[in-house]
Amino acid sequence: MLDREQRNMVLALLIVAVVSTMLLATTDMFTREPIAKAQREALHRALMQVMPPHTNDPQKDAFDVQREGSKLRIYPARDAKGGLLALAWEEIAPDGYSGRIRILMAVEPDGVLHAVRITDHRETPGLGDGIVTNHAWLASFQGKSLDNAKWKVRKDGGDFDQFTGATISPRAVVKAVHRGLLFFREHRDDLLQLSRGSEQKAVMEEGP
Amino acid sequence: MNRMDIVREGIWRNNTIFVQLLGMCPLLGVTTSAENGLWMGLATMLVLLGSNLVVSMIRGVIPVHVRIPCYITIIAAFVTIVDMAMNAWMHETYLVLGLFIPLIVVNCAIMGRAEGFASKNGPVESAIDALSVGGGFTLALVLLGGVREFLGKGEIFGLQVIGNYTDMLMFVLPPGAFIALGLMLAGINVLNRRFEQRRTVEMETARERA
Repeated sequence: MLDREQRNMVLALLIVAVVSTMLLATTDMFTREPIAKAQREALHRALMQVMPPHTNDPQKDAFDVQREGSKLRIYPARDAKGGLLALAWEEIAPDGYSGRIRILMAVEPDGVLHAVRITDHRETPGLGDGIVTNHAWLASFQGKSLDNAKWKVRKDGGDFDQFTGATISPRAVVKAVHRGLLFFREHRDDLLQLSRGSEQKAVMEEGP
Repeated sequence: MNRMDIVREGIWRNNTIFVQLLGMCPLLGVTTSAENGLWMGLATMLVLLGSNLVVSMIRGVIPVHVRIPCYITIIAAFVTIVDMAMNAWMHETYLVLGLFIPLIVVNCAIMGRAEGFASKNGPVESAIDALSVGGGFTLALVLLGGVREFLGKGEIFGLQVIGNYTDMLMFVLPPGAFIALGLMLAGINVLNRRFEQRRTVEMETARERA
């Protein structure tokens, strides 16, 4: 049997744990919806930056595809007549200078890049983070496709600049975007078909 | 110790960073700018306020042998609450500081206040202590962030102070945190010594006059 002192110790720990858990559960209840909303808004802002002007809600029309065993969510941008303007998705460059670089890229139906933005990274401030702050460099992706550019940094004989003192971060980004374009070319028909499918579904849901 | 002393001890005389050199982990990572330092300091202050209040209210009820696990649980709960709240309502800042907020749990300064102050004093004193120590911590983070931002990029709180500034990148990088902190500590020691000397001189002249 536990003596009085031991029982008090167990009781104290138990009460502290239970009260803390209740506090956390309550906070979770109040913050879950705002957190989801904040994440949607952050994605919305990023999508607005990479996509051409569109009239649909890309997050509502998004669809998932399987790639190399993992799920990839694809966001379509459409004009008022329902014509597809671009598809956007997130590529992850695993080979940044420190950790993964997340890249949002939008590709037009003919395989031409519309724009590229970095959504998350841990690159060195002042050096590698030029991939975010150097707008001219980011703009140099616009209008590029597999056919009209060599997908390497200049140092490796390609068409994309590196920055002074930082080659690794731009190299990782260029490589990831290239991979994304190759993926789009390989599955172009399927992807366009799927984006149309989600459109039909949306129309069907709006019917009687 | 009266309440004014608690405030003075927390903010300056026993400043967590400048004097005790505790809780240095967020210092390096977060203080690349004054703004980051400010939010990290305020988040820490909130956690400190919560844990100090609760610990002081349950002092005497918690058996001595299990007090440390109890404090840790309380601190971890408050850190998680601050983490979730920032994620919900300050999403942009959270994305920048996200990695460092959970690390507030292991900031020994907070544990130190729970064990060293709140477990021996009432809720009112403990709250004052939390605000003062947290304020001192925030002050240190903002100062260091400001110095690094200014030297590194010529900006303070994101505003350009010097036009055409040649960036001194090193101060934004982690080694710059050590160097800037070292210089600031040296400066503060010089200041304190000067105050001390002036006080001694004043006391002596007062005595001579008497």
